[in-house]
Amino acid sequence: MSERWQLHQRASCARTAAFAVAAGIMLVPANVLPVLTTSISGHERTDTIFSATVGLCEDGLWALGAIVFIASLAIPFLKLLGLGWLLLAAKRGPGSHSPKLTRLYSALDIIGRWSMLDVFLAAFLTGVVQFGSLARVQPRAGIAAFAAAVVLTMLATRSFDPRILWKETAAEPALSV
Amino acid sequence: MMPPTSPQDFPACERSGSRMNCQVCGQIHRVIPLSPGERARCVQCGAVMAKASRHGMDTALACAVAGLFCAIPAALLPVVTVSKLANERAGILFTGVAALWADGMRMVAVSVVICGALTPILLLGTIVALALPWRWAPVLARPLATAARVFEHWAMPEVHVLAMLVALVKLHTLVGVTIGPGFWCYAAMSFLMLLAWNNFNLVGTLPVTSPVGSPR
Repeated sequence: MSERWQLHQRASCARTAAFAVAAGIMLVPANVLPVLTTSISGHERTDTIFSATVGLCEDGLWALGAIVFIASLAIPFLKLLGLGWLLLAAKRGPGSHSPKLTRLYSALDIIGRWSMLDVFLAAFLTGVVQFGSLARVQPRAGIAAFAAAVVLTMLATRSFDPRILWKETAAEPALSV
Repeated sequence: MMPPTSPQDFPACERSGSRMNCQVCGQIHRVIPLSPGERARCVQCGAVMAKASRHGMDTALACAVAGLFCAIPAALLPVVTVSKLANERAGILFTGVAALWADGMRMVAVSVVICGALTPILLLGTIVALALPWRWAPVLARPLATAARVFEHWAMPEVHVLAMLVALVKLHTLVGVTIGPGFWCYAAMSFLMLLAWNNFNLVGTLPVTSPVGSPR
């Protein structure tokens, strides 16, 4: 194993860990702070991601509630867990689990984008529902934290080089220059 | 793809002459021609390394051009018209971005523009550039191919379409909602972008840098 490849391996894991930790930190305000304030005919309601999901279910919109729950709550946390697992596996070195770990990496790469659903949803509602005192939707700080968390998890996935998981069985790959 | 050959240095997913390495596990393979509809999987990790479109590169070009045409009305025509009592308001694709910007959520507004509008259009443009029936010089083809991969990662109009559908169903319970032509054009652009990318053979557009023997 060349020194250059070892350096690349360490840098890839360090960048992934840094982005993942930053994403984990941003997920706290994203889930604690409100994301939207909805005001309809004088009745005002401020929602976090979780309370908005519960609100959709209470309104009988179970399918929408499930979509928002999966995209905004389940996927970001599963992605962070998956990245943690991949980092631990990379530290342990390649083994018989490499094919499973590669499939996990591919799955994380594919599902990550769907977390942007909540950000697009907030942008759409904020723009369309602007009727002054009659009806109004306003974004709150939580949505900025959530958008940052989603972007950071995507950057974390991109920073991880899955070739690390295969270094013994594959021909040693060169670095992109 | 054939079984691995002797170890050599190859950058990630780089095609070098008659060899190419897997971008997931780094395994080196010999490049062989694929028949229409065939996919080449890595012998080690099983990742799809290349695919040959059933209908050829022209399909990708046609879909990308059509997607670019759809992008214009998608950006200009109303996506939705919302009414509450006697008030009516039409929203275009960028109304939400403008509202977020005005509310001080500038980074969120920028991320919505990048992921929802800018990168899809750039991806379609890059596919058109690479699928045109002339060979780009290696100095241009490689950065274009790299850019296409980056744009594909950040372009998520299909997520935006789903978000708009969720919002429309929720809004329907609160206010009057009429879907505008901008929404259908945006959904068509999103669908055409996915079709163009699925029919696009990125590996085939990469330049051969250092020929090493016969492709078979």
